[in-house]
Amino acid sequence: MTEAWWYIVAAWGATLGGVGIYATLLLRKGRRLSRVVPPEDRRWM
Amino acid sequence: MTNTTTPRGDAPSAPAPVGTGSTGTRVLGAVALVLVALTALYGLVISPPDRQLGETIRIIYMHVPTVSVAYIAFIITAVSSAMYLWKRTEFWDLLGASSAELGVLFFALTILEGALWGKTTWGTFWEWEPRLTTSAVLLLVYIGYLAVRAIPADARTRATRSAIIGLVAVVNIPIVHKAVDWWRGLHQGRTVMSTIDPEMGGSQLVAMYLALLAGLIVFVWLLIHRFRVAFLAERAADSGLEHAIEQRRVEGATS
Amino acid sequence: MADYLAQIRLVLVKDLRLELRSRIALGQVLPFAVLVLFLFAFALDPDGDVLEVATPGLFWVTVLFSAVLILQRTFALEADDGVLDALRLSGLAPSAIFLGKVSALVVQLLVLEAVLAVGVAVLYDVTFSGIGLLVLVALSATVGIAASGAIYGALSARLKSRDTLLPVLLLPLLAPVLISATRGFEIGLRHEAGGGWSWIGLLSVFALAYLALGAVLFRPLLEDA
Repeated sequence: MTEAWWYIVAAWGATLGGVGIYATLLLRKGRRLSRVVPPEDRRWM
Repeated sequence: MTNTTTPRGDAPSAPAPVGTGSTGTRVLGAVALVLVALTALYGLVISPPDRQLGETIRIIYMHVPTVSVAYIAFIITAVSSAMYLWKRTEFWDLLGASSAELGVLFFALTILEGALWGKTTWGTFWEWEPRLTTSAVLLLVYIGYLAVRAIPADARTRATRSAIIGLVAVVNIPIVHKAVDWWRGLHQGRTVMSTIDPEMGGSQLVAMYLALLAGLIVFVWLLIHRFRVAFLAERAADSGLEHAIEQRRVEGATS
Repeated sequence: MADYLAQIRLVLVKDLRLELRSRIALGQVLPFAVLVLFLFAFALDPDGDVLEVATPGLFWVTVLFSAVLILQRTFALEADDGVLDALRLSGLAPSAIFLGKVSALVVQLLVLEAVLAVGVAVLYDVTFSGIGLLVLVALSATVGIAASGAIYGALSARLKSRDTLLPVLLLPLLAPVLISATRGFEIGLRHEAGGGWSWIGLLSVFALAYLALGAVLFRPLLEDA
């Protein structure tokens, strides 16, 4: 039974970790880009 | 970081935001984090092990939201693709592309979770059972979308190509489902969903619903940010081009 | 309506004439397909039952690879010679161009499949019972392959990476066709029990869906993609 827990941890870790890493990279990219883009152009839609 | 609401035709006097955040997304993000924490609480601690699945149901608490989100994402891409071909506005193109990328992410996670679940239950990481097989095929189809999207081209060409693939791919989804279900469903083999106890009661149901809700909120949050990043990327490319043209002009004047 | 059909016929004839002159399907791809049959026989044991049982799958995998090759070669030829642009400017209805191309592809693929069927019958010692079922499966599958192939072929035609991109795009999309056609053939060759009609139904749905989609999408495809 305790064996299953390793996989549960792995599944939750991979999912939350994967989404978390993606989100972090996304936010970082957003900050980097908004520095390059002139302020007037930063409004989105 | 400046504190602004999501601008929609605001007066230009409001300060320009840094990064892709806004009050709306901060609220959404906070709600998402709370929901994820609650899901973890119910999913990992409070809810009991399943009568049939045992502790492995806790993986299913992740599996159902990610697969649902993936399908929603691909439907959004399909609708955006159709709308782009009709309206030809940048909004629909960027929305479709952003949603597709998220769909691929969540689909990949779905397959990973399915494999981990399989390892605990069947002892193997892969079985040719309907859900996993379908997900794998559809993942490949949508990776094709991203591959074409990455090819450098002018905005309209890239958007048209993406829209075409977005529609071609979505039509395939129900067909792949049917084909794989009939094919592997015949083999009374191991399937992921059929062993779920439909009488999921009490805290198990709570965990499931919390997980679904959390997944949806996280998806919306990600989609907004991804869209904004895409928008900024387009603006950066435009201004980069203008900057280069300006440079050439300056060089031409001084030579 | 008659005018529309005439447009389709025009493109169909043009494409078949191109085929006769360049001999892509017959001259280049067909030898490849027959070679693949031999390769499978070398890889699997021809004396046991394996080859006979695997025949439907091997047949359709070979057809899929051959279809990708035909698409790559014909669309490359057309894109490089500016034919796609000429078609765009020709005033022909894009949906008619699409249907004409699909028809030509269907003809080429059916010829290929017929030869492969003979090859399989001879080399793998397979007897074809249930011919009606087999023909219907082949027809519906082929139309589906041609329709989706024409869309992706035209889309990737003008890209430098078209040779690697087309299979990556098309083959996953054709996974349900491969599954259904193989099951249909298994039933037709009496390896499996059950009616093949549901598989033919699914193949027809695929074919109709992509015919409709292609007819609608070919205009933006030719103009902008």
